[in-house]
Amino acid sequence: MSTVVIAPLLVALVTAIATLVTRTNLTVQRAVSLLGGVGYLAAAALLFRSVVLPLGSAGRTIVYQVSGWQAPFGIVLVADPLSAFMVGFASLVSLGALAYSVLYVDAYGQKLSYHTLYHFMVVGVTGSFLTGDIFNLFVWFEVMLMSSYILVLFYSGPEHTRAALNYVVLNLLGSAVMLLAIGGLYATTGTLNMADLAQRLADGSNVAVTPVLGLSAVLFSVFALKAGLVPFQFWVPAAYRAAPAPVTAMLAGVVKKVGVYAIVRLYFTVFAAASLPVSLPFVSGDSVLAFFGPVMFLMATASIVLGGVGAVGRTDLDELLAYSSISQVGFILLPLAVAATAESAAVRTLGVAATLVYAFNHALAKSLLFLASGTVQEAVGTARFDQLGGLARRAPILATGFLLGALTLIGVPPLSGFFGKLLVFQTAAGAFSGSAAGAGAALAVALAGAVLTIAYYTRAWNDAFWGAPGPAVEASLPGRWSGPVEIGAEEGEGTTGSDDFALTGQVTVVLVLALAAVGFGIGFDALYASATAAARAALDTQGYVDAVLGSAAALAGVVG
Amino acid sequence: MMGGQPQFVLAAVLGVLFALGTYLVLRRDVVRVVWGITIISQSANVYLVTMGGLSGFAPITGHGGSAESVTDPLVQALVLTAIVIGFGTTALALVLTYRVYEEHGTIDMYELGGHGE
Repeated sequence: MSTVVIAPLLVALVTAIATLVTRTNLTVQRAVSLLGGVGYLAAAALLFRSVVLPLGSAGRTIVYQVSGWQAPFGIVLVADPLSAFMVGFASLVSLGALAYSVLYVDAYGQKLSYHTLYHFMVVGVTGSFLTGDIFNLFVWFEVMLMSSYILVLFYSGPEHTRAALNYVVLNLLGSAVMLLAIGGLYATTGTLNMADLAQRLADGSNVAVTPVLGLSAVLFSVFALKAGLVPFQFWVPAAYRAAPAPVTAMLAGVVKKVGVYAIVRLYFTVFAAASLPVSLPFVSGDSVLAFFGPVMFLMATASIVLGGVGAVGRTDLDELLAYSSISQVGFILLPLAVAATAESAAVRTLGVAATLVYAFNHALAKSLLFLASGTVQEAVGTARFDQLGGLARRAPILATGFLLGALTLIGVPPLSGFFGKLLVFQTAAGAFSGSAAGAGAALAVALAGAVLTIAYYTRAWNDAFWGAPGPAVEASLPGRWSGPVEIGAEEGEGTTGSDDFALTGQVTVVLVLALAAVGFGIGFDALYASATAAARAALDTQGYVDAVLGSAAALAGVVG
Repeated sequence: MMGGQPQFVLAAVLGVLFALGTYLVLRRDVVRVVWGITIISQSANVYLVTMGGLSGFAPITGHGGSAESVTDPLVQALVLTAIVIGFGTTALALVLTYRVYEEHGTIDMYELGGHGE
């Protein structure tokens, strides 16, 4: 049944509207919102089951023709293993962040608009992952961004309005540029459907490929802006600090990955079909993709280095995490850069799979770290390193969660992050042994980035969690607060019972995400198999075209 | 095609509009920046319409010539969508400007950045 494709979209949309209707009663609204989050996870799991499973198979592609209009003319929603993989991890992170929000955002804020905006953001993210039409992609981006503007602005204090202003202005410019690129692509190729576009580019007889290269480069800058890659990273630290912790977790964990997904989908599935002789100083190839190899490599390198060096020097936990996020997105892009120029199909598949696995790890680990930082701020009142310290003794369970998240990003086995890092290195090494140009540099950059990651998480751990308790910690957590285990033992020590409940719940969410990182590390086979299926689907242009346009022909047969 | 004249004029107009929008975005005054963005996104819409061709007939059955001589209606549908989205975002940007003024007492970008205090 092709309706399974729109199931996650519908669940999120209905939930968004239901939370608007039930806003007069906070308890009901929270229940509806959480139920919607669980329903979204279930819908994503259903989609995953019908597209990717059984593990190890090539997977299927399910196409939903909106309103029954045939593929090149109507809008299509396409669920292939790549889309299902992205929707799958988005649903995991968004449920975690949602459960955390219920306990974190104050009652007035939740009642006002929080849940509705949150679910509309999820709608936008899901639509972006599923659509098979580039103009429709623009529309879903806008749905997602519109909600995220207001969520970044949520506290509307001086810092928040300033950060939101930057965020809104940059993204509005990005939207205008995206519209220009899409209009240009339509004028050049005469289609907006991704599969049709790929087919026309592969055919090449009626399409001028050179303008497509330029327009896709313009489009690339928009996706890089969404992903927060250097040199489009300026909005990241301020916006991440301004947004409420669970929203930051979503922005870093999921919304950024929409940019990464768009790069994989459009450049590896669609634009790679265009053949164009490329001969640049370090690279040569016969596809548009070969041109983007060096561009991605430079952006990835700059992101890893600038983000990493920036993170080491921060004085605030939230800022450190935001800069780390810039650096980690560089890591996500690096294997793509190698894959774009790689000659062998094996290295290409490995590269895209490495990107997906790393994106998954980063989504899980970074969202849990931002949530942990939010709890630290709620419990202690600040996230400045000179005020923190000794949290490992005062809040051991929270500290355990943070440590697991940090170790995941550093890449320590058996956590899932180890395999993410391993695959990035393996991709670079694979290209190196195939003596591809620049592969040695990619290895060196990955190594430097890994060392920087260790450096800044060591600093975060030393300054916030180890050592003697800082002044703010001493003031707000005079005794040992151990969260879920010894609840009630601290009654009457400054925190009220409901505060304790909220903090305990928050720590539980952090811990659950941390355990998920451990679980995906131990059961990595399943993750790797689905990432590989997704990577194969991303690189199989002909399969994608056949699935989308072939099913249109089949449908025409049924209707006509 | 019944002559490329309108396209040429529009190309020139688009150039001027983009230049104006870019100039305004680079100003220090937040309101001007919002104006600049609005102009840029509207010029993107004009650009899209231009892509559909300007010299054809209305794409309505029975109102004009054959299928080859009508203007492409798809870009107009796209622009309609983009205008609606632009309407929402412009309203948000203006409200945000007002909030920025309320919170900071200024709409000068330089002062907002923590300089000149």
